[in-house]
Amino acid sequence: MNYFSFLAEHGSTLLLGTVTTVKVLICATILYVIISIIFGLMRVSNNSFIQGVATIYIEFFRGTSLMVQLFWVYYVLPFFGISLEAFTSGVVAIGMNFGAYGAEIVRGGIIAVPKGQWEGAYALNFSPAKRMRRIIIPQIFPIILPPAANLTVELLKATALVALVTVVDLTFEAKQINSITWLSAQCFGTALIIYYIISRFFLVPFLRWLEIIAARKVGKEKI
Amino acid sequence: MNRFIKSIGVFLVILFSITAVNAETLTSKLKSGSKLRLGFGTAVPWAYAGDNGQALGFVNMIALTVLEEMGITEDQTETKVFEWSGLIPGLNANRSDMVTGGMYILKSRCENMNFSDPIGVFGDAMMVPKGNPKGINNYADVIKTGAKLVTGAGFNTVEAAKKYGVPDSQMMLVEGEVGILAAMKAGRADVAVQTFFGAKEHEAKSNGMFEVTDPKLMPKETLNVVGIGFRKSDVEFKDNFNKALAKVMANPAKMLERAGEYGYDKAQLPPPSMSTEWACSTK
Amino acid sequence: MDAEWKWDFVYQILPKMLLATLNTIMAAGIGYAIAVVVGMLFLVGQRTPYKIINILVREIVEFIRSTPLLIQLFFVYFVGPQFGIVLSAWVSAMITIGLHFGTYLSEVYRGALKGVPISQWEACRALNFSTIYTYKRIIFPQAFPIAIPGMGNYLVGIFKDTPLLSTIGVAELFHAATAVGGYHYRYLEPYTMVGVIFLILSIPAAMGIRKLERSVNKAQGKVKN
Repeated sequence: MNYFSFLAEHGSTLLLGTVTTVKVLICATILYVIISIIFGLMRVSNNSFIQGVATIYIEFFRGTSLMVQLFWVYYVLPFFGISLEAFTSGVVAIGMNFGAYGAEIVRGGIIAVPKGQWEGAYALNFSPAKRMRRIIIPQIFPIILPPAANLTVELLKATALVALVTVVDLTFEAKQINSITWLSAQCFGTALIIYYIISRFFLVPFLRWLEIIAARKVGKEKI
Repeated sequence: MNRFIKSIGVFLVILFSITAVNAETLTSKLKSGSKLRLGFGTAVPWAYAGDNGQALGFVNMIALTVLEEMGITEDQTETKVFEWSGLIPGLNANRSDMVTGGMYILKSRCENMNFSDPIGVFGDAMMVPKGNPKGINNYADVIKTGAKLVTGAGFNTVEAAKKYGVPDSQMMLVEGEVGILAAMKAGRADVAVQTFFGAKEHEAKSNGMFEVTDPKLMPKETLNVVGIGFRKSDVEFKDNFNKALAKVMANPAKMLERAGEYGYDKAQLPPPSMSTEWACSTK
Repeated sequence: MDAEWKWDFVYQILPKMLLATLNTIMAAGIGYAIAVVVGMLFLVGQRTPYKIINILVREIVEFIRSTPLLIQLFFVYFVGPQFGIVLSAWVSAMITIGLHFGTYLSEVYRGALKGVPISQWEACRALNFSTIYTYKRIIFPQAFPIAIPGMGNYLVGIFKDTPLLSTIGVAELFHAATAVGGYHYRYLEPYTMVGVIFLILSIPAAMGIRKLERSVNKAQGKVKN
């Protein structure tokens, strides 16, 4: 069976799986961004309890393997009363794991904002919320976007793991096709190419565009 | 800022509690419209998923025939493909409602889930390179020749191999039927042990590279019955299933036709002497 | 749902799990060693005087970096035999993980080289040092400290990616947990133990790396919070 007839027969299955992969990517990204912001802010809080909680969360999720966390959320968590659907389990595990890494990036961004900005906002009598919204956060974006972009590409690759907990994504379909047809080079090769295309021609350009917008908003020309 | 954090926290709590476990039984869940989830691994020709996620394989066919007898049509079911060792934990973690992997009824499994009445009797066989160069036909031969034996994690053959004394150093555990054929094809193992049907399927797929040993040369105790698995708490559903199964077995023509597509035939019909209770206590 | 934690089960499987942990450490170690070397090769491959080679290597690095390790593992494991290249699960795993993390490390090396002030390169040129001497005595000693935090992070990263190797049959810790869990039909204790063992091993490692990072930055004159 040459490659084109393989594509004709199995291409649509792989594409269906790709749709699920993209769904996982988007949902997990939203979740991890939210968690990163929350825990990043908690990490720089002056309240040592809040900071402690954030540190524990970050250390825990960075210190254990994503695959272990994923299997744990899927197979073990139900015994503690929380039974999430496979898709949700995947999104939650990936989101919480990457949120820990993202929190450190956010923290790095907050620290990198010059102290003068904080002092200026204080002197001008800005409320803490306004200070965050108008002064600090816009300056954080250009700083955190490059490492966050790397992290997001990592996330795309991490979505492949959800196939191991019954989520029917691209990796899952590739495995299925392999187990029935044994055309390993074709199915896994195509899967690799699809991931590459998503990353190189969609995800990375999108993230670069975000970086440019963020830089423009703060007045820096090009990064 | 604090309010923002608090509201996110509340949102997450709500998100989690919505999807919390409900202690409903299977029968009532189905009545309220949830789909019946068939859980299986990828084991051709026992049970596997088609390109569109449809249930294929003879165990699935038998299960679907019985379900129809119970008034549950195929579009009220959905399939969930697991790694083999995750089938029972998945069932107990409420990831599936029925295990149609084609699991042999074994004592250790009975302790963790309930089985329906038997749907068939099957044996194990070994798969070796064509010509059987090392002359392996059963576990004793494996031990004698020091050969590398491959089988799937969570398979009944793992327990069986242990029981017959195959040392850990000679065992190779891979993921399911797919892993077994991959290991054999690549010459990573000398012999594979699995169900007779699984071995036959691999022999066919391997274009003459491998052959299946005579199952009669395997220890007689490896003849086993297969049942459909249910959670311990779903007793009502299991009883209804058994009633429908008995009806189907009394007139097995339709079941044999559907399952026959995958190689199941009259010889597999379970003898009344091999009941679930018997298997749970002796296997 | 019974969430009863069975301690006797824990003690029953603990020896097997600890033994498997040794395999995990070995896998991470060997994979990392390969990655360090492969990273160098990828780096050099992008800095040759021949543009074609540079571009080709760059594309390969990008491709490996942008695709999931899991699929790469399946590819090497399943496709190899299709073309007559039969490698054991361990060798397939080591090659794949070595290549994969080699691409990451080559990026770390690139960043480290960039971090060496250009004046150093210029001075070497002015003083007529040979290329080898330049790299060996001037550039490398300055680049290496910059690379350490990145390299350390990926060491921890490779360790945490070892569970993926279980999907192609490498008998490391996660594989042992799945095998034991599948044998006894209980995942609660095995998977929790895997998590705990990982924590015990990686938190000190991560703390050590952060200490290293701080001391390197102090030595470089950058003060960090």
